Amino acid sequence: MDPITTVGAAIAAARPAYDDLAALAEDVEDEWSYINDLASAWVERFEAVVDAHGGEPAGTGVAEAVAALVTEAGLVDDPHRAIDWLSTFPQVLLVAVGERP
Amino acid sequence: MRFQDASPDARAVVYAGIQADPLVARAAGLLADATHDQRILARAVMNGMSTTPGTWAAMFPSLFGAGAPSDGPERARSEAILALSLEVAERGEQVRSQVRGAIVESVTEALVRRRPGIGATSTAVRRERRVLFDGVRAEIHPYDVTVETPGAAEAIDCKWGARGINADVLHQLDDARTHAADEDEQLTATIVVFDAERSCAVRLERQTAPHDATRLIALEDLDRLGGR
Repeated sequence: MDPITTVGAAIAAARPAYDDLAALAEDVEDEWSYINDLASAWVERFEAVVDAHGGEPAGTGVAEAVAALVTEAGLVDDPHRAIDWLSTFPQVLLVAVGERP
Repeated sequence: MRFQDASPDARAVVYAGIQADPLVARAAGLLADATHDQRILARAVMNGMSTTPGTWAAMFPSLFGAGAPSDGPERARSEAILALSLEVAERGEQVRSQVRGAIVESVTEALVRRRPGIGATSTAVRRERRVLFDGVRAEIHPYDVTVETPGAAEAIDCKWGARGINADVLHQLDDARTHAADEDEQLTATIVVFDAERSCAVRLERQTAPHDATRLIALEDLDRLGGR
């Protein structure tokens, strides 16, 4: 993983863990389309933040925050909890980089 | 239109015990005063896997990092919310789910009681109440919080996450509003969700049940409950 020195790098570093959460959540077949719509909505928000502020320096503690968030997401092993984390993860990530969800 | 206590069935008895848990009251007090970041912290920890405070502190540099207050009331509240949220997380999966739901309801009640003209002990704000209308069969499920002020009544349903928004809830809220209007009464239908507005919008977009006239209060807007 590249060092997290910018807001864009922080979001890029977090994205694979978010994609993994979405893949786990898809095990709840009844919610498949909701899960994909939800993930798409938050990925759009990530991309908007990167477009607007991606090159700005990441604040103190952001690298550690992303590392902790990615580790936490990796511990989620229940697809229902993963659905909830599809919403929680972006909120934590965005406030860590100083953006509103 | 009139309000009535819910039937004391088995569910109500069990749930009353959860609502009476001192942990729920403590959480409501802290989260009613909390900032948006502190509320996200509570949401994350209460639904998280880790129970090590340092893990969560690292995740929230705005609350615990070098740029955050090192002492004072904001820092104290952040630490109290983290500790309390870990207490919730350390309970079994089913219990933590019930406690989270009760916390959202209690926070909602606490904030509603901050409205001008409604005091901390006002009997206008109630929990677990039904709304009855002439000639209309009563709904089975009571509303989580009601505001029973003449001319400014409100029925509020509370959800921990956006996924909790479903057709049954939306129909019940909209039915109450329209039945009230049929009786020339005004009833605001509100759904409070301890989750991001973006997630709620995605959930609502998929719902065919009527919801255009139902007020959504999401995590970032909770303080609006106090101002109406």
